[in-house]
Amino acid sequence: MTDSRENLLRLNAALDGELGPMEQAAFEREMRDDPALAAEFARLSATRDAIQRAIPREKAPADLVARIAALAEPPSATVIPFRPPTPAPQARQAWSARGALSLAASLCVLGFAAGIALTSLRGLPPPPGAETALVSDFARAAIAGQPYDVASSDRHTVKPWLAGRTTVSADIVDLAAQGFPLAGGRVSVIDRIPAPTLVYRHNEHFVAVTELPAGAKPGAATVGVETIDGYHVARWSSDGLDFVAVSDADEAALGDFVAAFRRGKPHSAE
Amino acid sequence: MTERDPGTLARARFAEIVPPLLDDAYSLAKWLCRDGSDAEDIVQEAALRALKALETTVVDKPKPWFLMIVRNAAMSFMAKNRSKTIAYAGDMDDLDALGPQDGEAPPSAEETLIALEDSARLKEAIAVLPPALLETLVMRDVNGLSYREIADATGAPIGTVMSRLSRGRASLARTLRAEG
Repeated sequence: MTDSRENLLRLNAALDGELGPMEQAAFEREMRDDPALAAEFARLSATRDAIQRAIPREKAPADLVARIAALAEPPSATVIPFRPPTPAPQARQAWSARGALSLAASLCVLGFAAGIALTSLRGLPPPPGAETALVSDFARAAIAGQPYDVASSDRHTVKPWLAGRTTVSADIVDLAAQGFPLAGGRVSVIDRIPAPTLVYRHNEHFVAVTELPAGAKPGAATVGVETIDGYHVARWSSDGLDFVAVSDADEAALGDFVAAFRRGKPHSAE
Repeated sequence: MTERDPGTLARARFAEIVPPLLDDAYSLAKWLCRDGSDAEDIVQEAALRALKALETTVVDKPKPWFLMIVRNAAMSFMAKNRSKTIAYAGDMDDLDALGPQDGEAPPSAEETLIALEDSARLKEAIAVLPPALLETLVMRDVNGLSYREIADATGAPIGTVMSRLSRGRASLARTLRAEG
């Protein structure tokens, strides 16, 4: 390091108040005795002032401040209650004759019964892993008539809601133009880890896409569309992240969705 | 306090720490990526990361801590969305070998002061600084972090911080003199 470079570092440190008291005192003494040093210090100081004028500290935009303040609000302020006791129409019909059970209880029982029925009808044990859990989630949500926990087509609402409850920060892709408007989000639990699920609408159907937590046990590790318990399931990986999409729409629609979702990923290579 | 669930605790910590730092965070992100709307995305992403980290972290010095998250979020953002800006992905220490003429005599005070009035030209010169020099300069002259805090936020040794800052300022003074 040259002397002049050392000198420049010291000038900057003096300007930034970073010299220790002894160094600072010595520097001030030198400046008194050396007009050239004092002039150099003045120039550096002028440069610094000009930099601060050119790139001032700016105020954060109000809507950004509001969005971030919302992150600190308790969940109840922005969130639709989890599984409200409002029944799906067909559930009310099926159970009104019994009359004895509460509606909420009836939904749980119906969902459970339907799950067993679907499983046993197929006669084969379901594949283990995330897909099965997500299909159950989807079936539960469809039967309860409550496909999401937070209903919003605004990614700025859904993303922070999910981020506050899961371990990954979901990238939300806008697919309204491709016929899959965002309907909301919900939390799925896979291997006891909460994972973000985005729910898109497609005509009268839904597509629920879940970003699997790292380390989640894969089931059948196929990439493509398969059928589990009458629902279409697609699994794929993108940038090291694993996704599973479950839908009650037909296979072709799910294929279109997956293609659009992968294309829409901001960091996808495709 | 211990009986509250971590989500509530993290939100309380977040509400205390992050909102007062948003002007600094936005300014840092904006000067690093040179775009106001990208800066909003970066700060929002940083806030989400901070909220998550606060589940398990107690923060001593909020400002350098949060600005470090903003800086890292900006780096991921640039790597993802600005393939042309490759300097962030490279080894920043390489940059410390640049600028051999930093120690040369600066222009006279009069020349400098005249040139410095032209803040648009200065802005351009700042925009083409290597990212490692730029972030050090912004953290010091815009955010007012100390050398130690900049070293913590950028992961560079304090000597490197001093050298980057010195080179950044010298380079701006030189640019102004050359064009003025």
